[in-house]
Amino acid sequence: MIQVSSLTKIFSSGTKALDELDLNVKDGEIFALLGPNGAGKTTTIRILSTLSGFDSGQVIVAGHDVDRNPEKVREAIGVVAQQTGIDYFLTGRENLVLQGHMYRMKKTDIQARVKELAHYFELEDSLDRLVATYSGGMRRKLDIATALIHRPTLVFLDEPTLGLDIKSRKNLWTYVEKMNRELGLTILLTTHYLEEADKLAQRVAIINAGKIRITGTPDELKNTIHGDAVVLSFEQQDHATAAFAYTMKSEPEIKDTLWQGNKLHLYVANGAESIPKIALVASQQGLTIKSLALSRPTLDDVFLKYTGSSLTEAKEDTGDEWWKQWAGKGGGNWNKKWANDAEESTGEAETTVQETQQHMTTTNDSEKDEGAQPPATPTTDTPAKSGGGSPWSPAEMEAWWKQQGGQPQWPTEGGGATPPPEKKD
Amino acid sequence: MLADTWYLFGKYMRITIRMPWWSLFTLLQPLIWLVIFGQLFKNMSQLPGFPTGSYVDFFVPGVLIMTVLFGSSWSGVSLLREITAGAVDKMLVAPVSRVAIVLSRVLHSAVQVLVQTLIILAVALGLGAATSVNPVYIAMAMLIIFLLGVGFAALSNGFAILLQREEPLVMIGNLMTLPLMFFSTALMPKNFMPDWIHYVALVNPINYAVEAVRAVLVGTPDFALYSKGLLVLAIFAAATLAWAVNAFNSLRD
Repeated sequence: MIQVSSLTKIFSSGTKALDELDLNVKDGEIFALLGPNGAGKTTTIRILSTLSGFDSGQVIVAGHDVDRNPEKVREAIGVVAQQTGIDYFLTGRENLVLQGHMYRMKKTDIQARVKELAHYFELEDSLDRLVATYSGGMRRKLDIATALIHRPTLVFLDEPTLGLDIKSRKNLWTYVEKMNRELGLTILLTTHYLEEADKLAQRVAIINAGKIRITGTPDELKNTIHGDAVVLSFEQQDHATAAFAYTMKSEPEIKDTLWQGNKLHLYVANGAESIPKIALVASQQGLTIKSLALSRPTLDDVFLKYTGSSLTEAKEDTGDEWWKQWAGKGGGNWNKKWANDAEESTGEAETTVQETQQHMTTTNDSEKDEGAQPPATPTTDTPAKSGGGSPWSPAEMEAWWKQQGGQPQWPTEGGGATPPPEKKD
Repeated sequence: MLADTWYLFGKYMRITIRMPWWSLFTLLQPLIWLVIFGQLFKNMSQLPGFPTGSYVDFFVPGVLIMTVLFGSSWSGVSLLREITAGAVDKMLVAPVSRVAIVLSRVLHSAVQVLVQTLIILAVALGLGAATSVNPVYIAMAMLIIFLLGVGFAALSNGFAILLQREEPLVMIGNLMTLPLMFFSTALMPKNFMPDWIHYVALVNPINYAVEAVRAVLVGTPDFALYSKGLLVLAIFAAATLAWAVNAFNSLRD
């Protein structure tokens, strides 16, 4: 249904919005483009729906080249953009009828189709009311209905559930699934809700910085993360938990660590074996683990793996700042890596830490409400592994701490090391 | 293309009719001008060389043209709003004629000012202006007004696409209307103007519109003057419309 090869789009500002992007969407599938804001999702949709031009590459949509045959493409597609685009001062019916005329449908056909769609989306009762009186969920449904008026075979949904409450979102999901199953529509949707992609899409592509990082079924993607995810949640995120995370990160057995709110995700080859060790280190550091869970990786984890490496693009998350600030106070590798941050005044750095923590708490709360969110904190680079895999003892661990010298430290019995400075209020 | 234009035009008309207060509101300013200028310059008609018996008679064509300018020069603002709201994108992904999108907006604006000027004309007659009530002459004047409305609405839409922002658009809207207004015979007869303004008036479409409307509505009809105005305005409307359509077609990023 969609074949895109080496699509490149450079904005007039010089920013490379899409960089040799390849995409292949099959007939009859729900395909999700998953990525952070600014990854190129909307740009891709705009090019595929003939709204934007591009610099190089080839784009075939519904069997037609978007550059040479845009009219044919337009007839075959329905587009639901992020902004609804329906007219608030017209009634639902008037919006639908007008849209039908835009596609040059016959009057009788439009009448029949309006009836059909109103029934399908359960808008019959409000069809003759002004759209201005509709709720957000109803507007979305009407917007989708207008996009379907001419019986397209392919539908683009750009962030279809953005700004909807949980109930409306779940409701919309059932429609998207129904449209695919009952009407046989091919659906390309973009989202930054991981849960949405996981639940709806048969195949998912993770897009970041204008490139498709990986494509596959949700399960295939999850399998790219080898091993298990151990999730520890703490009462709060402070210098002690940060130091703990740092310790974990440096261990060969831990493949990756990342923070999500007050939860620390650790990726290990064998979760069951690692848990006791992790718990032991935590208790030695005087930390209370509120809860501990072992799970298979989710799309959340996949997303981090493929987009987290290029944090500069994912500016919407301030999580990286948090790491930088902590690293700035430490030394060793971190200091080299974030040399610039280390030069910043301490006071300034502390404020930022506090602010960032507030930000994380917010993220965590909204996560509870709205399901999976893009990660608040990025992964850190996995330290180089040498041989790897051998279990470590607490004694080895302690030896390692001491060896680190200027690294983030924590009070141990008789250790006397200075903890990272407390945050000031 | 014509069918597309018709349906989109229908949409804009429907929205306008649902908000009649807004259209009436834009009438307020020309009404105030009609009353204030009528009073303020009342004695000017006693000056030697003034073409008509009373100033109001002279001023009515001017105030009609003012109504056109105030009504149509903001058409672009709502285009910007439609672009932001995604309504334009929604039209663009449909196989609808690109010309129709601009044309329907401009026509809507021109029809709107047509209705407004008719109301102003009725008010002026009610205030005792001795302008022609011959329906043929009024229709001829309305043709001029329609063309001027098309021209200025097209200019406003074209600038909206080029500027992409409301603030500079409003500024240009003001710049287009008020100074050009004074560079025409809307307020002051030709023989009262300094020479240089006279020359500016030669290239000012507003001046041709005022003269043509006055030629049929005030005093003895002057068809030569009217035809000249009609020709200039037809060219003006066609040129600005072509320019706006062209600007719209290049909107694709």
